[in-house]
Amino acid sequence: MLEVPLPLARRPAGRCLTVKVAMLAALAALAAVPVAFAQTPAPAAAAAAPAMQSAGGDGVDAQVQSLKSDVLDLNRDLFVLEQELLYPANTQVAVFVSIDAGTFFALDSVQLKIDGKEVANYLYTPREVNALVQGGVQRLFVGNLKVGKHELTAFLTGKGPHDRDYTRGATLEFRKDIGAKYLELTITDDQSKLQPQFRIKDWE
Amino acid sequence: MIRAGAAACVRRSRALPALLVIFWSLPALAGRSHAAAGLPAPDFALRAVAGPNVRLSEHIGQVVVISFWGSGCDACRAQLEALNQDFSRYQGQGLRVYGVEVADDQAAALHFARGTPVTFPLLLDPAKSVARAYDVDNLPMTVLIDRDGKIRQVVRDFNETSRRDCEDELRRLLAE
Repeated sequence: MLEVPLPLARRPAGRCLTVKVAMLAALAALAAVPVAFAQTPAPAAAAAAPAMQSAGGDGVDAQVQSLKSDVLDLNRDLFVLEQELLYPANTQVAVFVSIDAGTFFALDSVQLKIDGKEVANYLYTPREVNALVQGGVQRLFVGNLKVGKHELTAFLTGKGPHDRDYTRGATLEFRKDIGAKYLELTITDDQSKLQPQFRIKDWE
Repeated sequence: MIRAGAAACVRRSRALPALLVIFWSLPALAGRSHAAAGLPAPDFALRAVAGPNVRLSEHIGQVVVISFWGSGCDACRAQLEALNQDFSRYQGQGLRVYGVEVADDQAAALHFARGTPVTFPLLLDPAKSVARAYDVDNLPMTVLIDRDGKIRQVVRDFNETSRRDCEDELRRLLAE
């Protein structure tokens, strides 16, 4: 399934990464304790274990599930923090890909260049193309750019009308201001020319 | 003054073994294989000689066998034909087999692919990125991946013994 990330929401300031890592480690250690004890039962306790398991087993399971859920939540928060650290909002630029209709073009690959430098090269499987045709949006690239003028070029390959190999490019000159910049590469059908149409525009 | 000097000396003597451990472990970490049993199989997307593009991560839940081959390798052809038998036998139980070309020019690879009658996809890796990710150092090389996407066995040879071992492991994986 395609990753369909959304623009990141700003987190409250002052949340420390190290504290989160420490909490994650502590939760992981806590989660491991019941498992470690379960693996090495004392001989005397082993006889009584089945009876105790039936009585307290549900409680321990619930606690373990709750801990797992907490770990997943923390993992998600860490991912968001990591994204914010790697791609600060002031310099962030992201490029998304979407397909509207797609009758005249079967997407095979996209190569992205920013200011002449290749930043992404993605090969699509039929499953991924299907997800895009059904309305999915893929974040193809996320990176950092300085404030100023830049040029984004996308080269698309695939099968065009009459099942012919098809390679086309689309270019956009854009200005990166302070704040995140989101761009969208759209593939649409041009019904009048019976040809696919490729456009790069600001994300709306 | 003397006490401060002694304390610094003790701190240094404690730090030294830790630093030595770090320095000794660095080469080991740097040389660690990406494709060792138990590690997650590196994901890839490649074009097939015939048919659609293939992405490994789309096959979580299935047992996947990747066989690396080259056009100048006779054992590779025998290996691919043997895997083709396994594929036709166990396809219904969730087995997927992919042959990935290594160190070839495209024309030679396509010629080899057309002369090898297998029913599973043969993939082209012109950038050799997949071969690098799986540390291919011998041909043929076969990687068995379990339903969780973890590498279970890497076979760096093809003979009767390795074939039997590979088939046994494959049955175990399919039964899991």
